Amino acid sequence: MSSIVETIAMCVERGKVNKTSPYPPDLKGQDGADELTAQALADKVPANDILTKGLMIGMGKVGGKFSRNEVFVPDLLMAAKAMTAAMKHLKPYFESGEAKHRGTFVVGTVQGDLHDIGKNLVSMVMEGGGFEVIDLGVDVSPEKFMKAVEEHPGCAVGLSALLTMTMVNMEKTVKLIKEKCPSTKILVGGAPLTEEFCRKIGADSYSPDPQGALDYLSTVYA
Amino acid sequence: MSEMTGVERIQNILKRQPVDRIGVFEHFWGDTQKKWVAEGHIQPGESMEDHFGYDLQLCWPFNLVARLNFTPEVVEETDETQLVRDGNGALLRRHKLHDATPEHVDFLVQDRAAWEEHIKPFLTPDRARINFEAYREARRRAADAQRFFAWSGVNVFELMHPVCGHQHMLTGMLVDPDWIKDMTNTYTQLTLDLMDILFSEEGYPDGVWFYEDMGFKERPFVSLDMYREIIQPSHRRTVDYARAKGLPVIMHSCGYVAPLVPGIIEAGVDCLQVIEVKAGMDLLGLFRDFGDRLSFMGGMDVRVLYTNDRATINRELTAKIPEVKRNFGYVLHSDHSIPDQVDYESYRYFVQRGMELGNYR
Repeated sequence: MSSIVETIAMCVERGKVNKTSPYPPDLKGQDGADELTAQALADKVPANDILTKGLMIGMGKVGGKFSRNEVFVPDLLMAAKAMTAAMKHLKPYFESGEAKHRGTFVVGTVQGDLHDIGKNLVSMVMEGGGFEVIDLGVDVSPEKFMKAVEEHPGCAVGLSALLTMTMVNMEKTVKLIKEKCPSTKILVGGAPLTEEFCRKIGADSYSPDPQGALDYLSTVYA
Repeated sequence: MSEMTGVERIQNILKRQPVDRIGVFEHFWGDTQKKWVAEGHIQPGESMEDHFGYDLQLCWPFNLVARLNFTPEVVEETDETQLVRDGNGALLRRHKLHDATPEHVDFLVQDRAAWEEHIKPFLTPDRARINFEAYREARRRAADAQRFFAWSGVNVFELMHPVCGHQHMLTGMLVDPDWIKDMTNTYTQLTLDLMDILFSEEGYPDGVWFYEDMGFKERPFVSLDMYREIIQPSHRRTVDYARAKGLPVIMHSCGYVAPLVPGIIEAGVDCLQVIEVKAGMDLLGLFRDFGDRLSFMGGMDVRVLYTNDRATINRELTAKIPEVKRNFGYVLHSDHSIPDQVDYESYRYFVQRGMELGNYR
């Protein structure tokens, strides 16, 4: 018989949010990540175990499937919804220090660019990977990114761009952060980006998908 | 073979039958034409179709926003952006200074109940949804220039997400697929009803062009199975409608949609446009795998164009055109739109060199 933490991982992986959710059809009427997380905490399962052995495992599995094109955006979004439903129960434990994030990930779409779908997907996967996500939104200036880096020492930064014309602002942002805080790891992504461009502007990692970004940060925060 | 008109050329290209040369067409970001006009390369009011001798002309005459009489409401404004509530109840932030995809801030419709209350009752085939005059004028201009004239508009994927956003639309496909199917059926019927009205009064175009962005970086939004279950029935209905009237269909999709191409072919589409290289699309691979069943438009990496280096542009054209012209089913076009970083002379060279390489005579 699987433990409640393993069942939570399964619910996240399969996008089972709560009991009322009709998805996935074969789990209709059963408890989801929401109820099971509340139950696990009531049963005195450590919050950090729920995070690391339940939510992170579930998101890791669905993220891996996404990378291998075994599941698609709808499945990833449902997994993120399930994870969010669980995380609301864990919030007090993060505040008390009983549960700990692996690190902080500051993310935003660079100045001049308003596109947010890719950034949001990365944010969801990072949160599911155990990181505290500070989402600065869209059209974020280099100075605003820098301010967030100063407010969150040791954080990593994710920069997103859709438009070729805003890639220059990505370069400016990387330059400013690396000048003032050279040890900050900077990840870049977005439709027009390439590994070559990442290296050219001095960023640390490029990934075409959210799981690749999480895999990179997992090595940094190992 | 003598020189063909644009109409003859595109008609044959869509059937992969002999032509005098490959076709040529393009899309531009709005800022590009402004810049080239300011630089004196294009005359104010001169069309890109006329200036570059394109083989196609499009007209987008339908307005499918739910509340036609709703005046978009500016909720918040800065020096650079505007946050606007539109007639679909969507709250979108747009850049004022340059072209950009808007930020999706909020949507009134996030589930079936809101769709049924706020949107569906308003989606009626009202004549006010059709810009008859624009269609008539564009059709006349295309006929004068002997260009292939296509009705253009969006299909269901591109009609749904402005109403409920990508996230609600995509999760809805799993949680409440009947809601999403109701949206696709409603928009399909509305499109066909409006086409009936327009075409019966103003005459048919030479073809139909659907914009339908179903992919992003290296992935389609949905699997081929989900495409077949939820989206393809609407594609089939709209394509069948057009083909029953002798109108070939071109479908545009940004992003990586290679896994969906078998389904797009099953739906009856004649030509796939725009083959976005930076998203992972591979024109030569698609031509190899599907060139016997599908024509192509695009697939020339726009990042090459904004190097503004003729040797680099020539390499891109030389690597692709001699191969994809082999079965007469290709139209020269960038892999998305020409941004204003591309110099006028670079683009002019792109067209001239492309036409040299694409000549069959």
